[in-house]
Amino acid sequence: MSNKEIEFIGKITAGVTHEINNVLASIKEISGLLEDLISMSSNESFPYKEKFMNAIPKIQEQVKRGVNLTTQLNKFSHLTDKPKADIELNEFLTHLVFLTERFARIKNIELLLIPSDERIQISTLPISLQMVVYNCVASLLYGSSAGGKIIIQSAINNENYLISIKYDGEVPDNKKLLDDMSVAEELKILEKTISELDGNIQMDTTSNSIILSFNNN
Amino acid sequence: MAGLRVLIVDDEEELVTTIAERLQIRGMSVEFATDGETALKMIDQNPPQVVVLDVMMPGMGGIEILQRMKALKLQIPVILLTGYGSTEQGQEGLKYGAFDYLMKPCDLNVLIKKINEAADVNQ
Repeated sequence: MSNKEIEFIGKITAGVTHEINNVLASIKEISGLLEDLISMSSNESFPYKEKFMNAIPKIQEQVKRGVNLTTQLNKFSHLTDKPKADIELNEFLTHLVFLTERFARIKNIELLLIPSDERIQISTLPISLQMVVYNCVASLLYGSSAGGKIIIQSAINNENYLISIKYDGEVPDNKKLLDDMSVAEELKILEKTISELDGNIQMDTTSNSIILSFNNN
Repeated sequence: MAGLRVLIVDDEEELVTTIAERLQIRGMSVEFATDGETALKMIDQNPPQVVVLDVMMPGMGGIEILQRMKALKLQIPVILLTGYGSTEQGQEGLKYGAFDYLMKPCDLNVLIKKINEAADVNQ
């Protein structure tokens, strides 16, 4: 996909999230108004007062959830604003974990981020890096059994920054997860993008780990 | 807070009318507009004590309304409401003399607190 096409998708997504946010803001205020009006009425004049007063906070909780989701989606859409950008790696991975948690939850797998102690400022192609890390997580999810956890760690080492993604759990039939042909093929597709990011990929089949290393110069 | 005259401007009619009604329940005297031209006329005819402006509106946005108010030497405090991708405009609004800005959707109590602060500063 060309940069222009990616930018276009990002712009449309950003615009739509803005509109959804307005819808959520309206629902929030309308439910708030209902709460105001019902709380002013007596139990006698409004027999379902208690039920309504219990239901309204649930609407507002769902609005909060929706706002959080659209905020993260909007943030994701802005990754496409510029092909190259300066980012902080731990914040970037926190955002990625939020976006991919749902896929892990389907397999009852926990996604755990262990960020480095220090902040890691990098200059990268954000959408490409997001795609590479996501695909590594997806590959481990694909080959794993239900349960366990995927641990994502960040580190900086001389002129390189590292992202390790490890599956900690059961693998069906005691196979080596990363030896699976389809997993290996999925990861092979990423090699070109990883090379564009000036990085490399290493796989440790014994520990079910993928280590991404990128030059940070 | 009682009787405080507030003008809220947002092109989302459902949102602006509901916020206005909730503020009225709390004793404020609230008017609303859904576009910049109407808002400026209302400000000119009956100046409120505080103006709340959405930054992103079709036609004249909150920043332009703020600039026009400043050009007319109106000393009414302005609170800006920003959405995704417009927090930078909130910052820009501060440079043009906005009292503060809040991210939408904001908590009503936070908005009320901010309106009261703005009115107090202008007294």
